[in-house]
Amino acid sequence: MKHDRLLPICLLFIGAGLFTSCNDDSAPIVIPPDETGLIEVNGGGATFPNTAFIKLRSSEQTAVKRDDWDLAFYSGSDFKVLINGTTGAMASATGKTSLDEVGTEEVSAAESTGKLVLSFTNLESILHVDDPANPLNKPIIAPISASDDENEVYLLNRGSSGASERTWKKIKITRNGSGYLLEHADADGSSSSTLEISKNDSDNFVYVSFENGIVEVEPAKEDWDIAWTAGTSSTPFPQASNGILAYFFQDLVYHNIYGGTTAVEVLEEDIPYENFLFSDIASLTFNSDNRLTIGSSWRGGGGPNSTPAVLEDRYYIVKDSEDNYYKLRFLSLTKDGERGRPSFEYELINSGL
Amino acid sequence: MFRFSLNKITASILFILFCSSFTLAQQKARITSSSGEEIPYATIQLENGKIIKTDIDGKFDLDIAMRNKRFQISALGYQSNWYYLSENDTIKEFRLKEEINDLDPVVVTGNYEPQSARNSVYQVRSIEKKTIQNRASTSIQEALNTQLGIRFSQDNALGSSNLELLGLSGQNVKILIDGVPMVGRQGTSNEININQIDINRIERIEIVEGPMSVVYGADALAGVINIITKKDLGNKWSVMARIQEETVGVEYQPFTSKGNHIRSISGNLGIEKWNFGASFSQNNFGGWKGEKTGRDYEWLPKEQFFMNLSASWTGKSIYTDYQLDYLDETVFSYGADARFEILDQNFITSRWMHRLSGRWESSNSFGLTWQGAYTNYSRDSETWVTNVYSGERYLSQAEGVNATIHYQGFTWRMMADWKSGNNLRLNPGIDINLEKGAGERIDSNDGIQDYAVFLSADWTPSPNVSVKPGLRKTWNSAYDAPPIIPSINTKWNLSDQLAIRFAYANGFRAPSTRELYFNFFDASHSITGNPNLEAETSNSINGSLDWKKQVFEGVQLKTIVGGFYNDISNRIAYAQDPENIQVTTLINVDKYKTTGITIGENLSMKNWNFNLGFSYIGRYNQLSQEESDLPIFVWTPEITSDISYQIRPWKTTASLFYKWTGSLPGYEISIDENENTKPKEIELDGYQWMDLTFKKEIGTNLNVHLGIKNLFNITQINSSSESGAAHSTGSQRPIGYGRSYFLGLTYQLKN
Repeated sequence: MKHDRLLPICLLFIGAGLFTSCNDDSAPIVIPPDETGLIEVNGGGATFPNTAFIKLRSSEQTAVKRDDWDLAFYSGSDFKVLINGTTGAMASATGKTSLDEVGTEEVSAAESTGKLVLSFTNLESILHVDDPANPLNKPIIAPISASDDENEVYLLNRGSSGASERTWKKIKITRNGSGYLLEHADADGSSSSTLEISKNDSDNFVYVSFENGIVEVEPAKEDWDIAWTAGTSSTPFPQASNGILAYFFQDLVYHNIYGGTTAVEVLEEDIPYENFLFSDIASLTFNSDNRLTIGSSWRGGGGPNSTPAVLEDRYYIVKDSEDNYYKLRFLSLTKDGERGRPSFEYELINSGL
Repeated sequence: MFRFSLNKITASILFILFCSSFTLAQQKARITSSSGEEIPYATIQLENGKIIKTDIDGKFDLDIAMRNKRFQISALGYQSNWYYLSENDTIKEFRLKEEINDLDPVVVTGNYEPQSARNSVYQVRSIEKKTIQNRASTSIQEALNTQLGIRFSQDNALGSSNLELLGLSGQNVKILIDGVPMVGRQGTSNEININQIDINRIERIEIVEGPMSVVYGADALAGVINIITKKDLGNKWSVMARIQEETVGVEYQPFTSKGNHIRSISGNLGIEKWNFGASFSQNNFGGWKGEKTGRDYEWLPKEQFFMNLSASWTGKSIYTDYQLDYLDETVFSYGADARFEILDQNFITSRWMHRLSGRWESSNSFGLTWQGAYTNYSRDSETWVTNVYSGERYLSQAEGVNATIHYQGFTWRMMADWKSGNNLRLNPGIDINLEKGAGERIDSNDGIQDYAVFLSADWTPSPNVSVKPGLRKTWNSAYDAPPIIPSINTKWNLSDQLAIRFAYANGFRAPSTRELYFNFFDASHSITGNPNLEAETSNSINGSLDWKKQVFEGVQLKTIVGGFYNDISNRIAYAQDPENIQVTTLINVDKYKTTGITIGENLSMKNWNFNLGFSYIGRYNQLSQEESDLPIFVWTPEITSDISYQIRPWKTTASLFYKWTGSLPGYEISIDENENTKPKEIELDGYQWMDLTFKKEIGTNLNVHLGIKNLFNITQINSSSESGAAHSTGSQRPIGYGRSYFLGLTYQLKN
């Protein structure tokens, strides 16, 4: 999908190159960032099936089905693996190191407590998900050790929040040179499969589906700034483990903390959106380690008592990986009244060029 | 013949004259009621002014002097009547019809044929046309909102309201129109919207409290509200027109938009055995902005159009009646201003109801009545989008944004009346109810087919005692109906003034199409109906004491004291699906109880009519199951009063309607400062409601109505609950839209 979109652009550049070939041909082609934009997010509609990655400077978006993938293997220097928070996946360490040692007994034990199901009645949900704000900081799967014996088998609920329920899996991940080796099977099954995964420098993560192996999900790490998705979020809740309850929220907006995007919220009462100047940036602290800065804060209401609505008292400043500063505000939760198709507008306040 | 009353009671036989003696000499004659009981101390007044009194047995000497003269017989509680006896007439029994007036109205609910409320074995409350007219009601809700034991809660997101009867929610109340059940239980409350019935068609509203499931089947668990429509059979022709203009709080604009605008016209024509009728009504409610400043409303604007066409045929022993009712209602929900697109919703209800009813009297000892209906009900939600950037307004085509719910219902009831001897009447009957619901988020289903037979007997072992046992057997295609439903109603006249009623009954509420087949899954909802639901069942007892006395000449006092206890088991409630805890579904799990007392007092004097009511109703505290130190019931008092005074020289009636609804306490789980869960006492505030109205007759055909509704200027009441009810905003519950003023005209011409 991403390639389809890039193809005409490449052709254009090739064409441009042909016509300008009599000039000095080594000068880099500089594309100025878009000055303004209005994005109607392709969330897929009322069942919120998609995650949409958006690149502000080119007004591009890439929509991917949330349940297209199961595991995300980090391409940075650490060896870390994430589960799919956008389907409400949950996992727990089994204390075992071989897939054969895990089976129906562990599954039924986990099922009886309900701890691997994301619901408001699961008060220990936060103990079985990646940190919603900064998953690499506190992934549920322990960093993959160089020593194979230290890597435990994990029981994985692939997530059924806004996704169809699928058989639980048992997984064991080890290092494989500079990459990873994944061994997986149905949680109560015996025939396992293995998959080798290599890191890819241009991506934040390499994504894997149990059915389809390595799959395209996230654009290259510098090719998106914010993503809209349904996914696992957290909220303070005194009765829950650690005082935090993980729960599923339909309108989360992440910014790309692993690709160099930073963001900050501004209240209209402090500086009106219309009057925001680049000089106001100095008073703001941009957030680079919490992808939920926009998160769920842009939407109010919801729940039994009120219909959800865009909070018009706030907007956001987003700095992309090329140091372009944008002010961005949400316009709507719907397109033609259909939920799962939000929209926002943004304006360049300072170009990084 | 002397015209004694304008009350148009169905064609019943007025006087049955018995002939048995040829003696012209002085003889004993008796005066009896229509049920054959002697009337003691009745008055016979001859034309010359001479007065004769009957003895304690209702007997008197039929004097030769009374021949060839007119004389009048009167007795308290009966309609006076004139007679003329020739020399050869051999009558020795004079039957007087029970007096029918506001104090003792005729009711039909639960019985084979109309009878006076006082004689009915059921304690029936009747709200007469006159009261509804005096009040200038624009909806059934307005006609009932100062009734004892009835409260409404407003759902301002949908522009509808929910009813509660004696502590039980509206889904437990069977709504009938001329005995035919309404189809179209909707929303999470599973209720018939009683405001979708034309107020201008109503002759009276009968309310029976307590289970009536033997006669009326499912959902008659808390009681029955039977809406009796007008039948203008007595006239050659008649025309009625009504127009009423009303402010909505302080918001008003003449005849259109802001305010409440009521228009109605109806007429009928009798041609020999046929009678044809037609009626059209329009209610336009302009909504109420209240505190809102933008496009949206606190009370949504609403437009209603009603039509009724009828044809009836009265033969010697057969009466049959066809009615076509049409409703078209649009509720306009304007979306708030938005940056990108403004979303307006229209909720459009359309209902066609064909009704066929009738009766056949084959002989004095056997008769048959039937009521059938076919209803086609649909409710559409349309979403209109205004794009702020382009200014375009269009109907959204997005998937799942526009929803339709469609119900088709067929019902056929037949009840026979068989008099077996003097003191036993048997009423066997069949009741068929077929319903099919379809729509978004409703799983495709085969509908609900319900077949029932019932039998009730009216046994009068002595003239003062009547016992009415009943049984119902139901077969239902969709859910487990209770096997056999029994009931027994008894009435004992201790004296002419005092009667006691006692009843025991089982009731049940059927799971609705929505409860059985609802299906809603998206990223944050996982709710499903449960096709395996059973009916909710109840055991109920109620009793009442009915005392009526003429205190002085022309001053009548009437007191009714009642008590009830309902115990509901198998109550349907939302819970986690045991097979998948992420899914919320419905299961038969809860229990619920209500109990209480009601006291009603009526005093009528020449120009005055004064009603005072008190109720104290206990609702079950669900949390008392786990926390034994909590009370089992939480109690709410209510006081109602209405006063009317006729200023005769001005031909004006002044009426005051008042109700105080006490605060509604309750318990909910909350979290204390140490983060422990514990029950917390909560309360929904009480409030007072008062309407003051005047009706002036100008000539014989025109009435002018004016008055003030909601004198206390109530808009909303506070609730200390933190959990909130669906569709309400915060802790405020809407009640009214403030003090409103109205002016109306009704014009009636008949021949």
